[in-house]
Amino acid sequence: MLSTFLAVTETAHESGIAQQFGLEPKFVLMQVVSFLILFGVLYQFGIKPTIATMAERNRKIGDGLKHAEETAVRLAAAAQESAALIKTAQHEAQKVIDEARKIAKEFADKQQTEATTRAADTLAKAQQAIALEHKKMLNEARSEIARLVVQTTEQVLAKKLSDADRAAYNEAATKELTVN
Amino acid sequence: MAADKQTKLLAKQLFKLSLVNGAVSPEQVAGVLGWVEQHAPRRPVALLKVYHHRIAIELAKSHAAVEHAGPVTATTLQQIEGAMSRRYQRVVTASAQPNAKLLAGLRVRIGSDVYESSVAGQLATLSV
Repeated sequence: MLSTFLAVTETAHESGIAQQFGLEPKFVLMQVVSFLILFGVLYQFGIKPTIATMAERNRKIGDGLKHAEETAVRLAAAAQESAALIKTAQHEAQKVIDEARKIAKEFADKQQTEATTRAADTLAKAQQAIALEHKKMLNEARSEIARLVVQTTEQVLAKKLSDADRAAYNEAATKELTVN
Repeated sequence: MAADKQTKLLAKQLFKLSLVNGAVSPEQVAGVLGWVEQHAPRRPVALLKVYHHRIAIELAKSHAAVEHAGPVTATTLQQIEGAMSRRYQRVVTASAQPNAKLLAGLRVRIGSDVYESSVAGQLATLSV
């Protein structure tokens, strides 16, 4: 651009237009040099840091996008893993529930069997007790009847037996006792 | 006072001295009592109790108590004496004791042995 400007100035100088408009080449050159200095300073302390900052920001944004993509991938993997874990946990939980139901059913069956056995034992014992009680009652009744019969017989015999009967019985008893 | 072992042993020896041909002899018993009176052995009361007990048991073995309901003749008692003498291998004497509870029949007691043939006994067997 500077070369173009010098070329224009040179051309204008040669054609006399510069003199016609009051242009001084040295002032123009000084302004150009000042502009270049200002441009250099601005570039060094303004544009360059800004460009560096923008590049850094772009890099960070790129990194962020890259991390975001990785994070998305990781999130998807984590979601998939989580789903698998949940599925496994549900499967394990179902197995535990089934096992618990099975154990509960076995326990209930066992309790029912034991209760049935106990009831049968109790019933058998009750029947035995009733049978024994019945037998005991019959024996007591038989003994009581026998006692009454014997008592009655003794009373009748005490009245009805004569001395002759007793003497004959005593003779028979004597033979029985002296034989052996 | 309970008799100790030595007293029981002495009483047993004195009891053996009191027997003649397996029967208690009154003369021998009198002699034993005289010896006890003269020599005054240790614990004489306990000794005499044990001796008396043995003599009573031996005399009971030689005596048959015949309980009866209804008349019993002397012949019956003699038959019982003869049978028991043969059974126990000693002279056994019998004495009659009326017992109306027997209803009819006899009950003979010799020592701790009892022989019975009575109506009451048979009825008692039925009632058991």
